[in-house]
Amino acid sequence: MQKKLFLLFIFCTISTSAFAIKVFKYSVEGTPTSLDPVQSSTKYQNRIVSAICDTLYDYKYLKIPYELKPNLAAALPKISKDGLTYTIQIKKGVFFSDDPAFKGGKGRELTAEDFVYSIKRHFDPKTLPRGAWLWQGRIKGIDDWKTAGSDYKKQVEGLKAIDKYTIQISLVKPYPQLVYTLTKGYSAIVAKEVVEKYGPEISIHPVGSGPWVLGSFNNQKAVLLKNKKYREEIFDLKNEGYDEKIHGFTGIKSLQGKKLPIVDQIEINFMENFSMRWISFTKGSEIQFGFIPEQQFNNVIASRNPLSLNKEYAQKYYFLPQTEFAFRYLNFNMDDPKIGYNKDKELEKKNKALRIAIHKAWDWPQYIKTFFDDLGEAYPGIISPGIDGYDPTLSKEYITHDPEGAKKILKDNGWTAANLPDITYSMVSDIRQNQMYDQFRGWLITIGYPSSKIKKQTFASFGDYSKAVKSRKTMTIAMAWGLDFPDSENVLQLFYGPNSSPGSNNSNYNNPEYNALYEKASTMQPSKERSEIYKKMHKLLLEDSVTIAGFSRTDLWVWHKNVILYPVENVLGNYFKYVDIK
Amino acid sequence: MDTFIYSLRKFFQSIPLIFGVTLISFVLMVYFGPDKTYDLLGKNPTQQQIEEVHHQLGYDQPFLTRYFIFFKEIITFDFGYSDSTGEKVSSIFARTIPVSLAVQLPILISGNIISIILALIAAYFRGKMIDKSVMFVAVIGMSVSYLIIVILFQIIFCSSYGLNIFPVQGWEVESFTSYLKYVTVPVLASVFLSIGYNTRFYRAVIVEEITKDHVRTARAFGTHPLKLLFKNILKNSLIPIMTRIIITLPFIIIAGSIVLESYFSIPGIGLVLYDAILTGDLPIIKAAVTWTAMIYVLSLILTDIMYTVVDPRVTLK
Repeated sequence: MQKKLFLLFIFCTISTSAFAIKVFKYSVEGTPTSLDPVQSSTKYQNRIVSAICDTLYDYKYLKIPYELKPNLAAALPKISKDGLTYTIQIKKGVFFSDDPAFKGGKGRELTAEDFVYSIKRHFDPKTLPRGAWLWQGRIKGIDDWKTAGSDYKKQVEGLKAIDKYTIQISLVKPYPQLVYTLTKGYSAIVAKEVVEKYGPEISIHPVGSGPWVLGSFNNQKAVLLKNKKYREEIFDLKNEGYDEKIHGFTGIKSLQGKKLPIVDQIEINFMENFSMRWISFTKGSEIQFGFIPEQQFNNVIASRNPLSLNKEYAQKYYFLPQTEFAFRYLNFNMDDPKIGYNKDKELEKKNKALRIAIHKAWDWPQYIKTFFDDLGEAYPGIISPGIDGYDPTLSKEYITHDPEGAKKILKDNGWTAANLPDITYSMVSDIRQNQMYDQFRGWLITIGYPSSKIKKQTFASFGDYSKAVKSRKTMTIAMAWGLDFPDSENVLQLFYGPNSSPGSNNSNYNNPEYNALYEKASTMQPSKERSEIYKKMHKLLLEDSVTIAGFSRTDLWVWHKNVILYPVENVLGNYFKYVDIK
Repeated sequence: MDTFIYSLRKFFQSIPLIFGVTLISFVLMVYFGPDKTYDLLGKNPTQQQIEEVHHQLGYDQPFLTRYFIFFKEIITFDFGYSDSTGEKVSSIFARTIPVSLAVQLPILISGNIISIILALIAAYFRGKMIDKSVMFVAVIGMSVSYLIIVILFQIIFCSSYGLNIFPVQGWEVESFTSYLKYVTVPVLASVFLSIGYNTRFYRAVIVEEITKDHVRTARAFGTHPLKLLFKNILKNSLIPIMTRIIITLPFIIIAGSIVLESYFSIPGIGLVLYDAILTGDLPIIKAAVTWTAMIYVLSLILTDIMYTVVDPRVTLK
């Protein structure tokens, strides 16, 4: 009897382990609203969309500086000598996952025509697209196609499927960043049948050919299931940029040769509430990936330099501090005659001095200490270290708190407490933003700005704030910019005159010299000459004191020790396929 | 039959009220609500794209046309697709309302039963130690912030720092057992809070009843205290108690609970509505306003009917 029971126990154990599925429980602090690739504007959306729908290109998982690799494309594009024509071969035998939208419910083969269709959708206003800015005015004929009514039956001159597996993109002018745009969720490929079947509800029912299929999705959680029809993709340490010194602690080495995706299921928990996220993470049976919230910082961190976990936590979790691929800034609205351009050239000169004085009043170390756990350092301007165009020799004066210098500039330029203009700090109405305003106000008071002249302009929601910014109705703009790709063009375009509001240039800076340099650099392939132009543009920005920048937050990622991963929370959309559970 | 005819008549009489509510809400949404356009734009939009989004959202149409469309939606109960998620509004409601109800109903039922019992005890022993103790607990329930209670309960019941016996977040309800697993802590936290307000209110109502002549007579007659409490006092106090309970139904059904849903990751209607209001997702707001108005009217009718059940002197005319 005992022997039988023992055998039954063994059988049950084996059966359970044989049928146990590997589930990775991930968490993010934001909630995606739509999973339609044309609307995947946030990193939360981008991550899920690019996990479900294939993009032509991707970044190597572990390689820093970022390096592109083919994903759905068979190889990197063939670029014509003039840089205007890109020819891209896609992999053969890639199928969409099964869905009732397809004939017989079986996903059909993905072709070059599907890519063409997916990009066209960005130029169809009915889809409420958000990614058109990446290609408008760049791909030949795409804007005309839209003006003519976005008729999918009509061809776009510069966007063609040459044959079943070949895409050809013709550009109006060279656009070296084009390949980067083809890594983004915006360019992820959907099938026409799926769009036609689900209409606007494709946002909750995306179907692609990526490593994952959507299991379920609501405002709290998305569940991704392994796409059993996913093409053969084998993990190759060397190709992905593995470096034992950097990645060794994660155990990623053991993934060599494994077929991707590795785990069976990904649970993406949308947890805006930090306390709940931390309780859930430390519980042991719930989320396996999160970050250390500000409130827990002193409990969990043993040392700041280098950053490390205290013993209790270090035994249980892996830890990685990582600088975000974004920067925070405070722009001045140059369209506002009280702080920016002015018909009276004398006053315009004085306004520049005023901006420089405010810039000098800004205390980055205090800002970082108050709002970012004293982690990280400011750098002059908008080009962060590690990106092409970053100039390590730039003067630190641009980020030095210098109230005396500020006072002197105000005095030298004839500014007095009586004639200083009212300065308005615009913000979304929440506690943190109010605290930031109070800090800003404090700095201005120290340089002699009358308290009564420092005002705040509050907005109930980010949408309202954004509306005011885009309508040029704010004097200052405190925001952050997440980089879309690792090229300084993406940040320098933020100050390009023709991109002024409602475009991305919310400072409405319009300097002909800067604009001419941007136009020149934006068509150039990476080179020493281009880097020099970037540096020159950056210098112009800093000298004109259009923006007070910059700082990139340090994220403190933690994950359970039974999970094998290396967090790449920046530009890489889809790294779930590389995750394993021990 | 009389009840049915009364309900029907009352409902038809309330139709102008429903349209009044929807009209006022629509005016507020259109002229004072957030502009959804800027949530739906890309990072580098042009003026033309802003106008296109305006057009897609119907913002470029005259107010009357927009209200007429809303009117049609009310009649057909088809509010289209959410501007944020693209999902059909009816599907969102069908998916989230049952979840909110699954959390809110146990809170409503257990919270009120416990409060009524505590109020009866407190009122019966008015001025004595038991009364003071119950009121002390009630005041704590009223005074402590909901957020603190939620976090405290999470730490006690769900975290590795406490008992760690319930999940802190999620909603994977496949059976009654799993339902209990996910619902217990949110219900406990909310009941603790609701007891404070409810007990004080019910105690006041019951104390008023307890001082009436018929109670004194029953006491003099030697009625058993339990019978006295439930038959003579509670039954006669039921009208204000019932009104309070029934009137909360529309909010329970449509509004859910933002705090519970965000702190326990419960995919209910509360957070959907909160986000919709904050971002100006008109199809969802329109549906919520219409449904709330209608359920409110139905609740009022139900209240009238219930009055006749608990008090035979009340007739439906």
